[in-house]
Amino acid sequence: MNSHDTQAAAVLDAVKDSLDGVTMHTPVEQIVTAGHVRRRRRRLIATATGVAAVTGLTLGVPVLSSPPAGRPGAVLSTAAGSVHIRTAAFSVDSYTDGTVHVTWDKKRYFQDHQGLQQALRDAGFPALVKEGVFCQGPQDNGYLDPSGVGPGVDQVMQGERQGDGTVVFVFTPSAMPAGKELFIGYLSPSQLAVTHGQPGSVERLVSTGVPLTCTTQPPPPHGQA
Amino acid sequence: MQQLEFEEFYQASRDVCLKAVLASVGDRQLAEDLVAESFTRAWMSWHSVSRHPAPRAWIVRAALNTRVSWWRRRRREVALDRGHEIADTTASDPGLDSALLAALRRLPQRQREVIVFRVFLDLDTKTTAEVLGIAPGTVTAHLSRAVTTLRDQFISADNNPEAGS
Repeated sequence: MNSHDTQAAAVLDAVKDSLDGVTMHTPVEQIVTAGHVRRRRRRLIATATGVAAVTGLTLGVPVLSSPPAGRPGAVLSTAAGSVHIRTAAFSVDSYTDGTVHVTWDKKRYFQDHQGLQQALRDAGFPALVKEGVFCQGPQDNGYLDPSGVGPGVDQVMQGERQGDGTVVFVFTPSAMPAGKELFIGYLSPSQLAVTHGQPGSVERLVSTGVPLTCTTQPPPPHGQA
Repeated sequence: MQQLEFEEFYQASRDVCLKAVLASVGDRQLAEDLVAESFTRAWMSWHSVSRHPAPRAWIVRAALNTRVSWWRRRRREVALDRGHEIADTTASDPGLDSALLAALRRLPQRQREVIVFRVFLDLDTKTTAEVLGIAPGTVTAHLSRAVTTLRDQFISADNNPEAGS
């Protein structure tokens, strides 16, 4: 080992040693419990969806109408009104189970957010997509969970990571509450500075037919809305 | 059985992962939140995560990805647009070397990520390259540049007793 290697090792040791006293305070029970709660919630949704499908019920309750991403048996729809769009920024496909599967290129999707909005609407999913602007309805309390997602969004939009690492977003038009649409607000290029250029967004359900309050100010920190 | 296995993994890996994420984000509480969220996701997908060739790297990678969607929690960093470089959020946290964390935070993101995986997670160059999706030679180059920068800063600080005061 030469002196350069020795110096490098010393620097890296110093860096590593500097955090020697750092320990995680979160108990494992808290982690496990949180995981159990989320699993139960997913199972409830999946089970309820299956019951509704078997009995032919009209899906009127949003919390029960969201199918799990990648539901077995769903294939690309060729029915009238189905949408299949491929652009450099995104793809939108209607499936036979009524869901709309969307993929997007993280580096490009904000370049054609209006195209994505139109494609989702054409597929029967009400969406409002903006860049650098964040909107909420008059009754919206502004709450966002730690992932930037508002209440109810997980019932109409779910992400599923595929085997090749890509993420497919499954939108469920039938799960959208009446009078609501999904608002997606992407960070603008200048706002991306806070994420080192990596895309970020906010999703929340907003009312249709009423004036929305929109601002270029990013939403406040979680828990302070 | 699975839960026992996960709990053992958590106990053995949590501090290492926390240090790695802290080295990258520079904020003690944010790092703990991110790592806790990441472990929760790992537990939900434990069947596949437990078979990952480098589960700790999965945790850290997921935590750093999660941070992207937590951007709005980092209002202090919005000050970047107003000409401030990086908010020091560790000064009030006893036991942390805020000067060294700040030095890490000043590194380019990719160099910092290489430090995180190579140094804090003890991954070899090949695995680090796979996790970050870059060539092994690029990992070596980033690590070398990061070491040079950090060494220069430390030497500079050592030669200037008032630095950082």
